[in-house]
Amino acid sequence: MHIAEGFLPAEHALGWTIAAAPFVVHGARAVVKEVRENPESTLLLGAAGAFTFVLSAIKLPSVTGSSSHPTGTGPGAILFRPPVMALLGTVVLLFQALLLAHGGLTTLGANAFAFAVVGPWAGYAAYRLTRGAGAGLLPAVFAGVALADLATYVTTSLQLALAFPDAESGLAGALLKFLGVFAVTQVPLAIGEGLLGVLLFRVLTVNARPELERLGLLKPVPVAAGGAA
Amino acid sequence: MTGLAVDDAAWASAWRRRAPGDKLLLCGGLVVTALVLPAWPGSVLVGVVAVGLALGPARVPARTFARAVRWPLVFVAVGALTAVVTVDGGGPGWAPDAAARAGSLVGHALAGSAAVLLLATTTPMSDLLPALRRARVPAAVVEVASVVYRLLFVLLDSLHTVREAQAARMGYSSLRRSYRSCGALAAAVLVRSWDRARRMQDGLAGRGLETGLRVLPETLPSSAAFLAAAGAGIAGIVAASLVLA
Repeated sequence: MHIAEGFLPAEHALGWTIAAAPFVVHGARAVVKEVRENPESTLLLGAAGAFTFVLSAIKLPSVTGSSSHPTGTGPGAILFRPPVMALLGTVVLLFQALLLAHGGLTTLGANAFAFAVVGPWAGYAAYRLTRGAGAGLLPAVFAGVALADLATYVTTSLQLALAFPDAESGLAGALLKFLGVFAVTQVPLAIGEGLLGVLLFRVLTVNARPELERLGLLKPVPVAAGGAA
Repeated sequence: MTGLAVDDAAWASAWRRRAPGDKLLLCGGLVVTALVLPAWPGSVLVGVVAVGLALGPARVPARTFARAVRWPLVFVAVGALTAVVTVDGGGPGWAPDAAARAGSLVGHALAGSAAVLLLATTTPMSDLLPALRRARVPAAVVEVASVVYRLLFVLLDSLHTVREAQAARMGYSSLRRSYRSCGALAAAVLVRSWDRARRMQDGLAGRGLETGLRVLPETLPSSAAFLAAAGAGIAGIVAASLVLA
């Protein structure tokens, strides 16, 4: 759910761009540092961005019979950390605006704040807290991915409510309206995306365990003493 | 064909050989004009000009343009309707200026979307990314964005191939199977993206990659006539809007 081009008043569009800028600049600095130290990271980071874009092209089946598209930032935040996702998410939003007409250019800041900043940070915090509480990888992934999606949707609703407060009930009424209208698609999507994240990581723990160990998501399996020849 | 209709249209557009900076100035001007002028007549004029230029001189297929505008249309319709409904103790009702407010929201959003689409359907991303470098975005960031652009078509192709194979094996015959297939599909695409990146890295390392992924950008000359016409057109929209408002 991205805010369409021209939908936000100019001052709101500018305000959200200023709000998102420090996070995106911080992400850009992290990427520049990473690429300077390991030039080969350019390709892995590019692959991560392309994966986030492509993940949003997967049609997730819905219990209502329709289908919807995941945001893709939750798995990215768990795999690559929120600062990197702030930049990669903004790049993905720019590509979605120019290749799919999802979102826009003047609303890029507002969408980046919800999709690339709040979503990944909320999702990553949920993932870390769940793991810290002693849960395994998969329950933590479900919590992280679902919450990243929910946080994005709540932030977008708040942005719309701030821009269009209700004539009678003000900001609170407008927030309830937007949360209620978009909940029809976004709450089932958040649960669906959490399940998708679990299935994705379950396959990855089997097929891409060395990558997950390198990213610090799984502890390396100790080699047995006097290991096999 | 790349698999993304807007990107295909950009490569085939009659404006493909125009300087990206010229098109950025025109479309950026239209986007800002659509945002700051009153919806009537400012946004309406921007919308008419953007659609007219896309379907006329730029020769963008009308079907591509119409299909691309569907997504923002759904959001704009739901968002505008929600914005003009009021909620109080007596239940939902219409805001006093509901029609004018909804018209203004829809006008601004559709005109702005049309102006962005004019840029998107006439300028491939590979032409726009060097402009980011000129805007002093760090080279490493532009390089990552370039790799995203180049890899996403490979991954989209993988996505469609794997999904087709899953569907042929009844992978989407029930809700439970659909979710399992979607998870395996996402994992397959992620593993392939890592594999692609690793193989590209090995190939580039074998060719002595030490610094950035520098490529020679295509130089497309700027047109003074195009820029003058763009400036005059935007000034005309502003003037007409001030007179008619």
